[in-house]
Amino acid sequence: MTRATRLALFVRRELSDALRARWFLAYSAIFLVGGVVLIGLGARDTILSGYRGYARALVGLVHFAVLFVPLMALFPAAASIAEERENGTLEYLLAQPVTRGEVFLGKWAGVALAVAASISAGYLLAGGLAVLRGVPFRFVAISYGYLLLLALAFVSLGLALSAVSETRARAITIGLLGWLALIALGSLGAVTAFVRWGLAPEILVAWTFVNPAEAFRLGMVGLMDPDLGLLGPVGASLAGRAGTGVVLWGAAASLLVWIAVPLALGATGILRRREGA
Amino acid sequence: MIAATGLSRRFGEQRVLDGLSLAIAPGERVALLGLNGSGKTTLFRCLLGLIPFDGELAIDGLDVERRGRKARARIGYVPQRPPHFPGSLGELVEFFSGLRGLDRDEVAAHMAALDLSLDEHADKPVRALSGGMLQKTLLALATAAHVPLLLLDEPTANLDPRARRDFVRALGAVPEGTTVFLSSHRLEDIQAAADRLLLLHRGRIVFDGSFAELETAAGIAPTLWLELSPAGVDEIAARFEDDARVLRLRRNGTRLGLRAPAADLAALLSELGAADVEILDLRTEAPSLERLLDRYLEAGPP
Repeated sequence: MTRATRLALFVRRELSDALRARWFLAYSAIFLVGGVVLIGLGARDTILSGYRGYARALVGLVHFAVLFVPLMALFPAAASIAEERENGTLEYLLAQPVTRGEVFLGKWAGVALAVAASISAGYLLAGGLAVLRGVPFRFVAISYGYLLLLALAFVSLGLALSAVSETRARAITIGLLGWLALIALGSLGAVTAFVRWGLAPEILVAWTFVNPAEAFRLGMVGLMDPDLGLLGPVGASLAGRAGTGVVLWGAAASLLVWIAVPLALGATGILRRREGA
Repeated sequence: MIAATGLSRRFGEQRVLDGLSLAIAPGERVALLGLNGSGKTTLFRCLLGLIPFDGELAIDGLDVERRGRKARARIGYVPQRPPHFPGSLGELVEFFSGLRGLDRDEVAAHMAALDLSLDEHADKPVRALSGGMLQKTLLALATAAHVPLLLLDEPTANLDPRARRDFVRALGAVPEGTTVFLSSHRLEDIQAAADRLLLLHRGRIVFDGSFAELETAAGIAPTLWLELSPAGVDEIAARFEDDARVLRLRRNGTRLGLRAPAADLAALLSELGAADVEILDLRTEAPSLERLLDRYLEAGPP
């Protein structure tokens, strides 16, 4: 039995658990309905603005996603290991001939695939319709890539919390607080601080790259509006000084770091932690 | 099969295992006894590499800390509570047998040997199955892997009497040559599955021997109760009154109680059978495990 076979078993188990769970079907349905509704609205806008009406609809989907995707990734990921620890299943699992690293990586890959599958159906349907109506394929493909990176970043974050939390409730609570800090309060707080204390624009730009949700939004706005004029003078200055390519790659790199760092921290956490200790 | 030297484990200020040393040979059937909180589960967790410890610990020659995965590949484990698996019994069997590279049919055959049909129950959700069925499934998973060591951590603690009896009977089907290391609070489990007892107290093994030896060391023994005719009571009482094997003789009307070490009971019965006295009824009264341990620990282990 190879390590790859054992990892595949964990992935398969997480996927079948997800298919059985209500969250998977609910998220898929929400994304499907949201995507179709927004594309329907985009079709109406094309009368006035050509294919950009669809692009705007996709950006609408992106704004919907930036709030929703982190939550749908956090919930199952944060529950994953902590729930099994809480009900004693993890101890039986770790008593098998597997390593803790394999359990962690297998669970990460399984939850990541399940979350990716649940957002893909709706987004790809909406994106396919948009491409048929003239939206460039590149736009749809790259925005889909950003969406997956955002989802994986929050899967990593959720699983890292799960690896070190005693109970499912604690992992989810900390995850929700993190979501609130990064998404709901993060951008609002940064803009408020910028206005109130007249912070240097570089600080706002740095915060945008550090916060995964803002990095996702920046990448998407950069796709839609290469001059970043939608972000005001700060965005225009950033596009002018760094170039749109740097902004797009920088946003992707930020999300990749948000995938890798919690993954590494979570793996270290589960390796150091001892069950029943 | 198991070699532990100077095994220690603390939880905060409390030293749960205190320099414990232990050797269990291949094929031995050993029961681990101890009061609640004596460290039985902690010792099992160390054997499975679930918690760190000080000292040396090897399973089948494999260091548990350095070669944990390989050591665990030699262990079949049945915990006190079965895992909360979200899927069906078939999925549970497929997943855990898959982790050991086992064939599903092989596990099904081992389940059948324990009177459990995988085909019949495969689609049933695990949460809908009884504790006894789940424990037997875990035992089948462990034996199907042909592991040299079975670790059973109070496997019948949460079972009803019937399921407990079934599980104890199933333990009898464990292949010869398999080392069994069982912790339990139940005398029936221990007597059915083990011929060597280890008593864990304050982090150390304070007794290592057979059940009869523990009874003797604790100064406690089973009582053989006989229902006899009035004349028979007098005769048997007179016969065994000064017998050194009889620790205590009690009369209650036509009932006669002979307390004697378990090792001597067979000989006493044989002599009673040879006597010209009609035995109307006969039963044995064994001391409870709790009483046995209490008495042994009260007396102060050597």
